[in-house]
Amino acid sequence: MKSVVLLSDARHPVSGRAVLSRLEAQAIGLGTALGGTLTGLHAGDCEDGVQESLGHGLSALDILSLPPEADPVSALTDFLKAQKADLILAGRRGEGGFDSGLLPYALAEALGLPILADAVALTPGEATDTLVVDQALAKGARRRVTVRLPALVTVHPLAPAPLPFAFGAMRRGTIRRHVAEAADASTDPVEERPYRARPKLMRTSSATASAENLHVGPEPEEAARLILDYLESNGIRRYG
Amino acid sequence: MTRPRIDPRASRTEQRVASGENGRRRYDLSSRTASNPIGPPRRDPRQEWAASLIDRPGRRRYDRSQRPVARGGASNVEAARVGSAAEAVSTEPTVRIIEEPAFLVFAFVDAPGGRLSRFDRQVLGGARLLADAGGGGGAVVAIVAEEIDGLGAAGADRVMSLPTNGSASARAAALRAAIETHAPRHVLFAEDGDAADCARRLSVALGEPLFSNVEHLTARQVVRPNRGRRAELAAAPPRLMTLGEDRAKMHAGAPGEARPLEFETAPSDDQAILSVEIIPGDPARLALSETDFVVSAGNGVTDFEGFRELAALMKGTPGASRVVCDAGLMPRGAQVGASGTVLAADCYFALGISGAPQHLQGIAACEQVIAVNTDLHAAMIERAGLAIVQDAQLVMPALIKLLKERQS
Amino acid sequence: MTPAAFLPWLVVAMVAVAAVQLGRRVALWRSGRPAKVDWVAGLKALPKRYLVDVHHVVDRDKSASRMHVPVAGGLVAASGLLVLGLIPALAASQLYWAVVTLAFLIMAAGVVLVGRRRYPRAMKRLSLGRWQRFPVYLGAFALGGILTSALAAFGNPVPAIAFLTFVVAAAGGLMLAYEVATGPMRHALAGATHLVAHPRAARFEGSRETGLRPIDLEGDKLGNETPQDFAWNRLLSFDACVQCGRCEAACPAFAAGQPLSPKHLIADLAAAQAGGHARPYAGMPYPNERPVAGSAGLHARIVSPEGMIHPDTLWSCTTCRACVEECPMMIEHVDAIVDMRRFQTLELGAIPLKAEEPLGHYRGCDEPNGRALSERTDFAAGLSLPRIAETGETDILLWLGQAAYDLRGQRTLRALIQTLNAAGVEFAVLGAEERDCGDLARRLGDEATFQRLARQNIATLSAYRFRRILTADPHALHVLRNEYPAFGGDFPVIHHTAFLSELIAEKRLSPASLAARAITYHDPCYLGRYNGETEAPRSLIDALGLERREMARSGKRSMCCGGGGGAPSTDIPGDTRIPDIRMSQARETGASVVAVACPQCTAMLEGVTGERPDVKDIAELVWEAVQAGSKATASTSAARELEPA
Repeated sequence: MKSVVLLSDARHPVSGRAVLSRLEAQAIGLGTALGGTLTGLHAGDCEDGVQESLGHGLSALDILSLPPEADPVSALTDFLKAQKADLILAGRRGEGGFDSGLLPYALAEALGLPILADAVALTPGEATDTLVVDQALAKGARRRVTVRLPALVTVHPLAPAPLPFAFGAMRRGTIRRHVAEAADASTDPVEERPYRARPKLMRTSSATASAENLHVGPEPEEAARLILDYLESNGIRRYG
Repeated sequence: MTRPRIDPRASRTEQRVASGENGRRRYDLSSRTASNPIGPPRRDPRQEWAASLIDRPGRRRYDRSQRPVARGGASNVEAARVGSAAEAVSTEPTVRIIEEPAFLVFAFVDAPGGRLSRFDRQVLGGARLLADAGGGGGAVVAIVAEEIDGLGAAGADRVMSLPTNGSASARAAALRAAIETHAPRHVLFAEDGDAADCARRLSVALGEPLFSNVEHLTARQVVRPNRGRRAELAAAPPRLMTLGEDRAKMHAGAPGEARPLEFETAPSDDQAILSVEIIPGDPARLALSETDFVVSAGNGVTDFEGFRELAALMKGTPGASRVVCDAGLMPRGAQVGASGTVLAADCYFALGISGAPQHLQGIAACEQVIAVNTDLHAAMIERAGLAIVQDAQLVMPALIKLLKERQS
Repeated sequence: MTPAAFLPWLVVAMVAVAAVQLGRRVALWRSGRPAKVDWVAGLKALPKRYLVDVHHVVDRDKSASRMHVPVAGGLVAASGLLVLGLIPALAASQLYWAVVTLAFLIMAAGVVLVGRRRYPRAMKRLSLGRWQRFPVYLGAFALGGILTSALAAFGNPVPAIAFLTFVVAAAGGLMLAYEVATGPMRHALAGATHLVAHPRAARFEGSRETGLRPIDLEGDKLGNETPQDFAWNRLLSFDACVQCGRCEAACPAFAAGQPLSPKHLIADLAAAQAGGHARPYAGMPYPNERPVAGSAGLHARIVSPEGMIHPDTLWSCTTCRACVEECPMMIEHVDAIVDMRRFQTLELGAIPLKAEEPLGHYRGCDEPNGRALSERTDFAAGLSLPRIAETGETDILLWLGQAAYDLRGQRTLRALIQTLNAAGVEFAVLGAEERDCGDLARRLGDEATFQRLARQNIATLSAYRFRRILTADPHALHVLRNEYPAFGGDFPVIHHTAFLSELIAEKRLSPASLAARAITYHDPCYLGRYNGETEAPRSLIDALGLERREMARSGKRSMCCGGGGGAPSTDIPGDTRIPDIRMSQARETGASVVAVACPQCTAMLEGVTGERPDVKDIAELVWEAVQAGSKATASTSAARELEPA
């Protein structure tokens, strides 16, 4: 099987240094476990960060040189059409660009491939050219989908942790550089400005005074009833 | 659409409160009146501060993240207002009916397990905000896959059921048809799971941009992070948006009617998808970071067989304090706290855990905390929403007994 | 000819057998990587290294030194004398045989002492098996030698008996010689060669050489995978092991039931060269031993579930050097462990997942906790903490280290900064320019990250003028002082305990007496063992008027807190935790406070739950005393005794 992992221009959240996105490192881990050949693909001008992928299990990396502001979809589409990969892996959101997570969908549309989101596990299907994808759902549930290849799969943060980084492997990996046609990104009529952190809603227990919910030395049976009632009234669990 | 004129004198008179002996006139300016049906109510900064006071002993702390309405369902502002006004507004919630909506706002509701999640309510709340924007009169249409309770209370005026056969592309196609038919002004999704997936499928299919992961939502402006949170984009609310978690408050006003809105669509099939199977999560085996409910044991627990049985019966994921893990009574992977797992669960049930600072760091994001501990002054008791000062070893068998009774 | 006349020939035969056996090992050593060895200097230094450095270590266990001197001395003397017996005139002299008898008698006395360590029951840390039979061969050679040479001294009255005793001596002697390849006698010849060709020649004669050596990151293979990746004199050093088990007894991981025993590890490494253990390893197994398949050889991977050593063994080490400190054969266990870790980390990426986390942070933001460098000085809000960038020069450059991000460490640093201000010290910090020193990365085998950080830090430090670097973190101290010079960064570095005691000696600080408290001091490995600094902290405690109580293990032989070498990150499960063991040792002294001088030790010891003494950094105690002192001078009743705060 031939797989390609899409690599974006991620930045470290603390230092702003170019790094490999963790999600994409997890995608490499999933792809490595599947076997076959696995290569990386990056469109852009950021080599420092993505070359880390070679230390996380990739043997080779293709880089389509594009200016940072260019729209990479058409360049990636052309390259991937020529590659004829069975499986294209990506993080659920690429980083560094608009961070909208649209690129895999745009690629799938352009390549005419089915797309499955939020994979946490990949296993080869029983029939040839099929893949079983476990998608993460809320509360630990999984949706097991069998898909006919070729397909595009994006990876969820709950996928297994990436393979640890190996400096020696990064040094030995191959980087192939390609010249690509740059397409202008559609200019957005939106205003860009420096990021400002905004408060999130706080998740504290509902303000029903803790004094009235403090029970000192109740009978164990009474305590048990209180606990179950609290859980049910707050919609955590329903028993019986 | 014309706005009704306001008669300031009439509304003043209606706001007059019966006052005491010296005949001084007093008004309750916060009460809405028939003569002044619209327009923002006046702000009362004192009440807002009072409402955002986190009800907890010790140092006063305020949660000013979501002004002016307080957190968590029941509005404290509302409560404060009811308390202060002599002529209380009727506490009975009257269903708000929008017969002829001026426009529609779609809210995509995922509702895992058939129950509205906190995030779903936030999406509905955000949609409500957009529907009430400007002159108001918009209707929130909840897009659901199955029947769900509580949509009205969460702010939905209409409910549109789009059947799902498990195929994401089919669902997106159905929603696309609905959008083309009803032309909603906005379609709001959660930036999570199937909703996020559907939003992107739609964006590509419609060729319309998606304003994803909105962190700041108002009627006039939406803001989202860009370039790995080094920049942000601001725009007037576009049509397709996904909302970040904990970024919009839930609807707290009068419930909507949640009237069904019929929409027929021909089911389509995705040729590439060969089979779909849902595997429910098993709380006992879930990773601590993924579960929504943790039952956790500390020093006050000695019977670990019983504890594991209890966790299984409660359908919670077993966790433990560091001491317990150090002693080898529970595996290291079960350790909750700064040096173990930091939880994102909704509820944390602490049995015999006093609450060391590192442990409390691990449960900082838990909304509901239940503590059972012998020490009244334990930090965990202070942190808990339900605190029971009792020996955990006594409460555990009682809980097991009660759970077995209820389940049989 | 008398049977005694055969004795010199026996010795010649023994030397021949031993030479053949040793030759087999030499062939193995030669397949290791080349290493520069100054043979002339080594040979010159050998007697001193043996009689001073080795004996100093051996003598810590009196039963060992008392047995080793007569056994080894007797054996060498008797054998040497017997070789002289090849001269016919001497062989005919009865006096000569009497002298030989005397040498054998000395040896026999030693053998009795050896036997007492092993019979009826061997000391726990000693190996059994062929090691248990070793005194029998020694005894046979000694007893046979005594009787044969004594009979010769008396003019050989009963040749038949003399012949019998000679056979006994020959059997014992030849067995000893045969054992040179894989048995106990190997330690003697390999050990002597090891002392000559020691990979750390600078560690002898009282000086310390403890910094890890850099590797060439452009090399074909990074770190050590197979026996032949070790330098030849490292392979030799493994053969020097005498399996006395002192390392095992000192090892904190072993004590905590983690699967590490330095002795077993070295025995495995020695056996790995020749394709596995010739006889089953006869010491105590690794605690909670992980099964390994045991495939071995010069080209076989050592650390692997298929190989000789399980990865968990490698990652249990805290790099505390207690084993190195205790080793009478001067073996460098920690170097071997780190060399093998380097291969695991750099080439395989086979590092425990929890330890990969700090390494990932290092790569991303130069800081193992994933915190921004600009936040390092956040804790000091409200304190006077000048940045060196403002002036470009200062007297003392304060290296804050990782403690600045940790709530507990910040308390120590605040106390230190306030003390410096009180003493009027001219100091500054690098602020956001200070990257992590790279200690954790290096101990976890990530040499690439370490070298990058070292070069960047050295470039930063070289841009400023200062007299000394002051740090409260012994790990940073060790790295800056002993490991940066290899990258061109030679900076004088001083630990805060040494600096504070200087300030007190110069009367720039006038601490009050904090009497009425019993204190025990826990020596940080990286201060005591790595840098030999055990006196300054103690003199500080004494200067504060505190009652100092020593734990059973203290000074350079102190026990680790479990916080070094990335052990808290790799977190290999054991039966108990190392800090719990150390804290129980502290409790035994009855002290109410454990004084520490390292943020790692503070964190580990404070993590111990239950009733325990307080854990305080010496900087905190000094600041407390300085505050009390200034209050006392301010108030008129300076004479009244001060209560501790």
